[in-house]
Order: sequence, then C-alpha cells, then structure tokens
Amino acid sequence: MFERFTQRARAVVVHARDEADRLHHPRVGTEHLLLALLHDGQSLAATVLRDAGVRADDLRARIEQEAGPGSRALDEADAAALREIGIDLAAVVARVEESFGPGALNDPPPAPRRWPWGRRYDGSRFSPRAKKVLELALREAVRLRHNYVGTEHILLGLLREGNGLAALALTRAGLDLADLRRRVLDAVRAGARPAA
Amino acid sequence: MSSATELAAAAGSTDPRVGLRAVLALRRLLDRLERVQVDNARRQGWSWQEIADALEVSKQGVHKKHAGRPAVNGTWEE
Repeated sequence: MFERFTQRARAVVVHARDEADRLHHPRVGTEHLLLALLHDGQSLAATVLRDAGVRADDLRARIEQEAGPGSRALDEADAAALREIGIDLAAVVARVEESFGPGALNDPPPAPRRWPWGRRYDGSRFSPRAKKVLELALREAVRLRHNYVGTEHILLGLLREGNGLAALALTRAGLDLADLRRRVLDAVRAGARPAA
Repeated sequence: MSSATELAAAAGSTDPRVGLRAVLALRRLLDRLERVQVDNARRQGWSWQEIADALEVSKQGVHKKHAGRPAVNGTWEE
C-alpha cells in the first residue's frame, strides 16, 4: 500500500517504528505516527502542527505520560533520584560496564518478531489503529484527488481516526481536531509547499 | 549538584514525591541489574533453578521473567 507514499511519508512510517523502539513499546501506535510526523520539520504536516501551536517536546512528554515509558533506560532524573538516597548511579554503571561491557545496563533492543517460517513480518508491529490511520491517509489522498500520499494525508488520517493516543494527546494539549483538520485542508489548498 | 548536607537531608526526606521517585529509580536500576546478572549466570551455565535459588524466588517466576527475552550481552537460547 506504500507505492503512492512520498519519500517524506515513507520516512514517517520508518520514524514511527523508531519512536516505538525508543520508547520500548512493542507496537507502533498512532502516537508514534504523530511523533514521527513532527520529526521532519519541513513537512507539510509538521508545519501545520507547528502553526497550530503544537510543540514537539510537549507532545512527546504527554505521549510518554499516556503510553507509559515502557522500560526505558535510566535517565538523568533517575540518577538524581538515586543520588537522593545516596546511590551514585554513574559509579554503579561504571562497575557493571567494567565487567560486562559498555551499555550492559541499557535496555536490549526489542526482539524482532520471528515467524515459524523464519521471515520477519514487520507489518505486525503496527497496531490495528495505526494501520487504520495509514488506510485513511490513502483514502484522504484519493478524496482530494491527489495521486500521492504525503505527510498531510497521514495527519488527516490521524485526525479522522480520532480515537488513538495521538488524538488524545492532541486534545489534551488543548487542540481541536476539527480545527486542525481545517488547517491541513487550508494548507493543502493554499499549496504553500510542494508535495510534502 | 547538591551539597553533601543537602543530600543527607534529602535521603531522609519526608516528601513522598522525593522518596517515591527514588523507589522508582531504584526499581529501574534493579530490573536492569537483575537482567545483566541473570544473563551472566545463564552464560556460565547456571540452571533456572540455581538462579531462582540465588534470588530466593520460584523457578517458574524467574523463567517467566527472563526466558525468551533477548539477552543483554551475548546470547543464550532457551
């Protein structure tokens, strides 16, 4: 189904997977698609979101809060908290890495899902909702008589789906989905940018 | 970075936010340390039963938690 996806739109799909990996979430959901849309600041979707007042770091924080951090790596906040009870995280990490190699305490990358016949089927990582969003993106493109699927169509798909964590995060951030949709369509009509 | 006296005060902090955050961080550290050590034990040929005994948990528990996940360093199959 990705034949009509622009380079940027394909990059969004790839980045969504990376976002899920980074958060140690086993599945790629709508929230990862949304984060991926913000990745490329030049894309039409990112431009619309930015103009609507979406801040990438704020949205990321909301999504991490909603989705839970998975089993993310120990960060600076953990180090600070451990310091409070007299534990020097850096020293612990240094001792462990001395014995077990650099990055020993980091989370292992998620295991690629292997199927009995030995092939990896990565499509399975996308949640039903995320798949639905990509289908809706295609449908939005058709509806607009565009012969390509760009980041703007993925965003329209996200907004149309309307029930995923992405929509929830946007709503919680004080945005109105219908208004966002209008903004995307205005931007498309204005043709302010070439196909994004 | 806080001074030593501030640290000492915080260690006995009665602010639940401070104390609970420390518990969370400790749990995260514990999870990772356990993974590293269990992997190491497996690499050295320890059985799940031996690992369970050392951790004072059930063999089923330790197996469920650690078998089948990717190893931190190096590999072992189960």
